[in-house]
Amino acid sequence: MKAKALIAVLSLSGILFSADKVILKKPPESLKKFYPPASQKFEFLSNMYSMSTAFYGINLNINEGNWKGAKEWALKLKKTYIETSKMVPEWKDYFKPKLADNLVKAVESKSVDKVIEASKKLGQTCAKCHADNQVAVKLVYHFPSFDNIKIEDPVEFMELETGKYMKKLTNSLKALKVYLTQGNVEAAQEAGANFIERARQLRSMCSKCHTNKLSEEVIVGKEFEGHLNKLEELLSAQKPNREEIFKTLGSIGMSCSRCHNVHLIPALVQEAFKK
Amino acid sequence: MIPLLLLLLFLGGCEKLETVFVEEDLLQRPPAKRCSDCHADIYREWKKSRHFHAWTSERFRIETENYAKVKCLACHAPHQVDPGRKPELRAEFREDGVSCVACHFKEETKSMHGPLKVWSPPHPSKQDLSYTKSSFCASCHRETYKEWKLAKVERSCQSCHMPSLGKRDLIQKFPFHLFHLAKPRTSHEFPSLKARPEDVEVRLEPGKIVLTNVGVPHNLPTADQGDPKLYLLAEVIYSDGRRKKVRKILSPQSKTALAYREPREIRIPPGEVKEVRVKLLRRLAWSEEKELIKEITLRTPSP
Repeated sequence: MKAKALIAVLSLSGILFSADKVILKKPPESLKKFYPPASQKFEFLSNMYSMSTAFYGINLNINEGNWKGAKEWALKLKKTYIETSKMVPEWKDYFKPKLADNLVKAVESKSVDKVIEASKKLGQTCAKCHADNQVAVKLVYHFPSFDNIKIEDPVEFMELETGKYMKKLTNSLKALKVYLTQGNVEAAQEAGANFIERARQLRSMCSKCHTNKLSEEVIVGKEFEGHLNKLEELLSAQKPNREEIFKTLGSIGMSCSRCHNVHLIPALVQEAFKK
Repeated sequence: MIPLLLLLLFLGGCEKLETVFVEEDLLQRPPAKRCSDCHADIYREWKKSRHFHAWTSERFRIETENYAKVKCLACHAPHQVDPGRKPELRAEFREDGVSCVACHFKEETKSMHGPLKVWSPPHPSKQDLSYTKSSFCASCHRETYKEWKLAKVERSCQSCHMPSLGKRDLIQKFPFHLFHLAKPRTSHEFPSLKARPEDVEVRLEPGKIVLTNVGVPHNLPTADQGDPKLYLLAEVIYSDGRRKKVRKILSPQSKTALAYREPREIRIPPGEVKEVRVKLLRRLAWSEEKELIKEITLRTPSP
């Protein structure tokens, strides 16, 4: 019986959903006030954790035969559920406060079967909202925006938005590859020098948020700098070694991927929602 | 006034006299303007400093997304500055930035600390020689402090950024100014000094320009989180008449700032170089202006 209750409650209170496609809906404006920069308290998220903990509290106590403790958690869950249902008016229809009340009653009845049934129904309201909104909310509110981040182009000495800077950076990389392939050494050296300077300057963009420098070191640290130095050296030869240069560019690209894997998708989603 | 003071001395002794003049609000972390009631000159200097602008700086407001990046805030409105310890964010008068009480008032002693021994009836004062040491500044300027330590020089932060003003009155309020002799005082403008041309050595070597910071005992430029920059603009003129431009940004955030006495090589495009015209400029973290530090033409020595 205990195992039955454990499995049922765990699976229903979680965030389980599956689909063959995921559609991202723009999170409602009213959610903004519960995330930075408007608030540092993450009130909405904090309520999610509170409810998840309360669900587990019910489960844990029932499994240990502590119905009094389970009721306390059920009441906490109901209170937070009702409070949360009022936080984002656009999402009020996801919430069914009656079901939270039913769960309290089920715990009061001390019937495991009733608790499983009530948990299932209440858990489905959570799962529906999560399936519709969780990914988009994560991507929009859990990654700071690049909107206010500017970076000075070391070639043209102009402050640029992140996207525009990236364009210049990649264009100088592409120019290097094109000229090198065509055998235009002098133009390749110039494009390469521009690319190296722009790549070196990336670190100043990371430091706008990553003030402790650790993540910065992982992506654009000593290893990255070493590859840039090597590229600089390869390009300074009278007859640059094309194969070695492309190999070094591959190593540099690893750093690009590391950063993009973390930041590019949220940035693209945030930008798409702004249009 | 003097007979009155003598009478008070006679009646209560010196200790009681001190308490007669204590102004309680001075021990309640007042705004900086309150300190100017007596320390008018120091207040005027501080108002010209970056410490005064630390919180209200428009650039800081933008960079912190309207003060949302909380990890940046404590050093811009510290509660209490102690050597080597990161301060806490102050709750009140944040617009005062790095204020008088932030540096001088200590909760532990409920008194104003400073480098001088003074008798100050309106508030208790304690002499504290940590104010003369670089470690005092390290609570916020940690990166710069590390760079300075590596430079192994005797000059402290204060020697350059709180230059001596000679002997001056600490207070300008009657009657207290009558009780004090002028004391050795240092500037509270905390000048962000500009490197002199001779502070940066520029040499031409085969295939490269070599820059060395020989005069400033920390990185040039330096900052913990700000983004000051040095700009190198070089025009390379080759024997065959070709001209190429080399441009570089050297900054603490891109880890390219010039460390003290560590040569930095800047590659120039290959070819037979006749001369290189170099300009070195700086831009402070809070300014748009680029200021010239040095301009020099380097020639390849004749074989």
